[in-house]
Amino acid sequence: MTENSLDKEQQIVNHLVGTFQNLTGKVKRNRRIEVSIEKKQITSVLNYVKDHLGFIHFSHMSCVDWLEDGYFELVYILWSPEQKIQLLVKALVDRENASVENADMIWRQLNTYQREIREMFGVNFIGMKGDKEFILEDWDNMPPMRRDFNTVDYIQEVYFERPGREDAQNVRETISKRTGEEIPEVATKYSRD
Amino acid sequence: MAFFDIKGLVTPFTALKQFGKAPHTVTFPYHKKETAQRYRGLHFNDLEACIGCGNCSTICMNEAIDMVNLEQIEGKAGDSGLRPRVDNGRCCWCALCVEVCPTGSLNLTKDYIYVTPDADSFLWTPGVSNPEGKDNISFHSDVDTSLSMFDRVPMPELDGKERVKSFAETMLYYTEEAAREEASRCISCSLCTEVCPDHMHIPEYINAIAKGEDDDAIRIIYDNNPLGEMCGKVCTRRCEDVCALQVRGDAVAIRWLKEYAVGRAETAEMLKEIVNPDIQEPNGKKVGIVGAGPSGLTTAYYLALKGFDVTIYEANEYAGGMVMYGIPKYRLPMDSLNKQIDYMKSIGVKIKFNTKVGKDITFDEIYKEHDAVFVGIGFQKPYSIGIKGEDAQGAFPAVNLLFDVNSGKTPDMGNKVVVIGGGNVAIDGARVSRRLGAEVVIMYRRRVQDMPADWEEIEGAEHEGVEIMPQTIPVEIITDDNNKVKAIKYLKAEMVADDKGGRPRPVPIEGSETIMEVSSVIGAIGQEADYSFLPEEYRNSIEINRGRMVVNEQMQTANPKIFAGGDAVNRTADAISAIADGYRAVKAIEKFLMN
Amino acid sequence: MMREKATTLYLGPQHPGITGNMMIKLKVEGDTVVKAQTHVGYLHRGFEKLMERRNWLQSFTIVCRICVPEPDPNELNYSRAVEEIEGREVPERAEWIRTLMMELSRLASYLLWFGGQNGSAGLYTMPQWSVGDRDYILDLFEELTGGRVYHMYIWPGGVRRDLPNGFADRVLQTMDYLEKRLKQYDQLMFENTIFQRRAQGIGWIDPAKAVEWGVVGPPLRAAGFKSDVRIDDPYLIYDQLDFEVPTQQGSDVWARALVRRTEFQQSINMVRQIIDKMPGGPVYNKIPNPMKWTIPAGDAYVKAESARGEFGYYVVSDGSNKPRRVHVKGPAYVHGVTLLENILEGANISDVSFIMNSLGTCPPEIER
Repeated sequence: MTENSLDKEQQIVNHLVGTFQNLTGKVKRNRRIEVSIEKKQITSVLNYVKDHLGFIHFSHMSCVDWLEDGYFELVYILWSPEQKIQLLVKALVDRENASVENADMIWRQLNTYQREIREMFGVNFIGMKGDKEFILEDWDNMPPMRRDFNTVDYIQEVYFERPGREDAQNVRETISKRTGEEIPEVATKYSRD
Repeated sequence: MAFFDIKGLVTPFTALKQFGKAPHTVTFPYHKKETAQRYRGLHFNDLEACIGCGNCSTICMNEAIDMVNLEQIEGKAGDSGLRPRVDNGRCCWCALCVEVCPTGSLNLTKDYIYVTPDADSFLWTPGVSNPEGKDNISFHSDVDTSLSMFDRVPMPELDGKERVKSFAETMLYYTEEAAREEASRCISCSLCTEVCPDHMHIPEYINAIAKGEDDDAIRIIYDNNPLGEMCGKVCTRRCEDVCALQVRGDAVAIRWLKEYAVGRAETAEMLKEIVNPDIQEPNGKKVGIVGAGPSGLTTAYYLALKGFDVTIYEANEYAGGMVMYGIPKYRLPMDSLNKQIDYMKSIGVKIKFNTKVGKDITFDEIYKEHDAVFVGIGFQKPYSIGIKGEDAQGAFPAVNLLFDVNSGKTPDMGNKVVVIGGGNVAIDGARVSRRLGAEVVIMYRRRVQDMPADWEEIEGAEHEGVEIMPQTIPVEIITDDNNKVKAIKYLKAEMVADDKGGRPRPVPIEGSETIMEVSSVIGAIGQEADYSFLPEEYRNSIEINRGRMVVNEQMQTANPKIFAGGDAVNRTADAISAIADGYRAVKAIEKFLMN
Repeated sequence: MMREKATTLYLGPQHPGITGNMMIKLKVEGDTVVKAQTHVGYLHRGFEKLMERRNWLQSFTIVCRICVPEPDPNELNYSRAVEEIEGREVPERAEWIRTLMMELSRLASYLLWFGGQNGSAGLYTMPQWSVGDRDYILDLFEELTGGRVYHMYIWPGGVRRDLPNGFADRVLQTMDYLEKRLKQYDQLMFENTIFQRRAQGIGWIDPAKAVEWGVVGPPLRAAGFKSDVRIDDPYLIYDQLDFEVPTQQGSDVWARALVRRTEFQQSINMVRQIIDKMPGGPVYNKIPNPMKWTIPAGDAYVKAESARGEFGYYVVSDGSNKPRRVHVKGPAYVHGVTLLENILEGANISDVSFIMNSLGTCPPEIER
């Protein structure tokens, strides 16, 4: 039982680091390894790990919006049934004009994942075929899973508040009005919202 | 396919196996299945136990709970007066509100049926909409699984037996990690701000500490309290008595967190740099302050920030009043207090030490030289115990002892000291005497739980070996030929219930006289103000009622140019009330002089 | 055979043969499906976007609503991901209770599947029996957690409450009852010639391509692969339980039904073992004040074996008190879209919902 040693995982990471330029990797824990690559290497790395390292099962693909840093992080999650190891391949894509090459010729189901990411984040997958609409219908606003899409503003524009709850009070305000306490500017940002 | 089908002939007989089997019965009348003991149904709130802290409203992830005013509920200290109302159109019955309720008043019931033709009646006030719900409570909170943090982070302190050997500070106070952990317990309900006499912005600075913004915490404290570290060490902390968490657990350590925050700035220069106050241009008005106690210092600090020319006249060598001379050094070290006072001096507050009004300078001079006067003289004169032998050598008031010790002297107490009284001054006198090497006994006429002293102080005294004798009334001090204290005679008392429903009274037990040999007797049964500095004409222009100066809402006496605050004015007689008085007086003085 | 002109049929979004709300656009020639296209989006509630504005504890109340037949893998995965990123230990008894919840949830989900699979073939007695029996399991959940379908019971740090008195006995009674019923289900469904004739040879998945196409769960096991997250990537206390992972070779609807039936029996045995071996101790490792609870930066991908296959959660934290990204991947994401579109080609119209049910398609988890 290789419960305590992470040799298998480390071997794979070392192998990948040696095979590809500009690839960094690490062992996260037992059965989890991750590598970070550049976006132009995505198809070549995915093909390589599928054909040569046994990562034949595609588990999941995700996208994380790092708005403050200006990029999307695409994460491809693969599984090797023989070695029982999960590999996370991460690549950064610029938020402005985000575009990446299509990878659904490697695994067919990537088409579904890519369609969703295109719809929800606005990442263009060059050469991909598939309906523009996947989950949303007649959506003409910005891709909604982006962090700069503010749901509160959206609902206040589109919907109206159902009446009946206007008499809601704020506990802090009620008490400070009763005692005559004046809360200074430096403190209000620490009050409970 | 044969005409004669064996299988078709035999198979129907298999139906015989049903013969003799018990039928599946459905009972009639229909027995309704009982709802589970933990069912999450409609809410019920115990309106009496609820304190209106609003924590349920904050945690609700659907924003379904509003805090609203109800007709039958009035806000008061420890209760905001608001009660939760649930929007049943949004509630998902996750019961997180039940898990975070600090008092355990909000629960879920077994009722889940709510039928009405009115589409807008989805707002549900638990407790009001279903008063019978209290018999049906199913999902309730209990202390073990509650999401509120009920246990306080413990505070390290010096060992009782060790610490009597010196005047080193007994409390070791919070480290940064412990402070952040303690600060994160706070639920920001702000019930504490109501009972703080100064209305300090407590949830705000606690949240600043929890976030790691200690500098902001200092600035928030200094908004209305220039002696934050002192309060952090010795305040009576009425805030903690109404903290939402103390209903079922330990209150947030508001006082010690204040000490942690201001203690981060180790010198007066650092304080000035962090607080960085906005000092306004001098406006040409002068204000004179009698007494550099907490009320005088607070008034001086905020007036100086507003551009007034402030001078404090202090009779003693150091500033601080009772805080400096009445509180022993093991509770409030001198450097700590001086640091805070030095910072005030650095922004322009002028203090004239060793200047007793009435002796070194007359009140008349001060009155004529300044545009307004603030009197913060405090209660410096102790009451006499009223028993024979009080004038003997070795029998003296506790405030004198504390004054001497804090001024640097080490009086000889002998080997056995008896302290008469049960307040903080008595305990201070007792613990100081322990440190001077004596065996100490405290005599108090009522029971221990009636003692007005802080429970922490009583516990601290007991750990240091002080013996407390409750229900003990001294009757005579016995002296030797040189009029030095030799022994004390006392009676035991029994508590008799008061017919009018007040506190039980101590009634001396006939024939229970006992004599105990002692070397010193310290009296600590209260103090009064010393108005001898005030000339006759001024004393007539202000009103003095039962030893206290009478002021209006704006801390102004009957003489509009004289303002007053502190122990000599308010009934609560603690440092924070004095600071609050000073803060209120500042606004009033500004209005009086600048309009 | 005369070729007919192709017609377009819309199966759904409201259709008794669909498990949930989803539309399949079928291009049929005569009776045979020539092209199928899945359209989802009728159940998009935007949970992942909602979780951006809710803190870590508030988010846990949302995740169970992602899947109706089986909400517990969601709660479990969310809690496990948060615990992995933070490094929080869970008490042992809590792990056993969580496993008990998962297995009971698996049984409830299979019972619902029995109903759906037979209902889509017109055999309506089975749904009435199995959904009625599922109620007994829901009664157990009601007693333990306070809710029948959405439990909100497994949260980061452990579980919310301990087992009530007498609960273990009631669980064992329910297991005995279900085992007896399983024999009756056999008579009604598995030994039923009509069902066998309908199910055999239908909805075949090529075993050579199954892993590559992302097939998971019972369909993969019916294609001959011994693949189950409980033994591949063990979690909770499955390594202390004695169970088998059944496989079949047929890779059609009938094989999948057999796989599920065997797993049903295995789950009953596992529940009995759990009740027998459960240790004592606390059930919750208290989290700090929820409004101020922050998780250090990091990410985690955790998987669980639900009744329909591998359920994955990818959770990313940026060090604040709210999740940065929670991305849910249900087994139906692959089964319901690319796989379904593929194996429906050449199928008969009457088999479309039959095949859909055999894959265990659950539209709510495709679009969350």
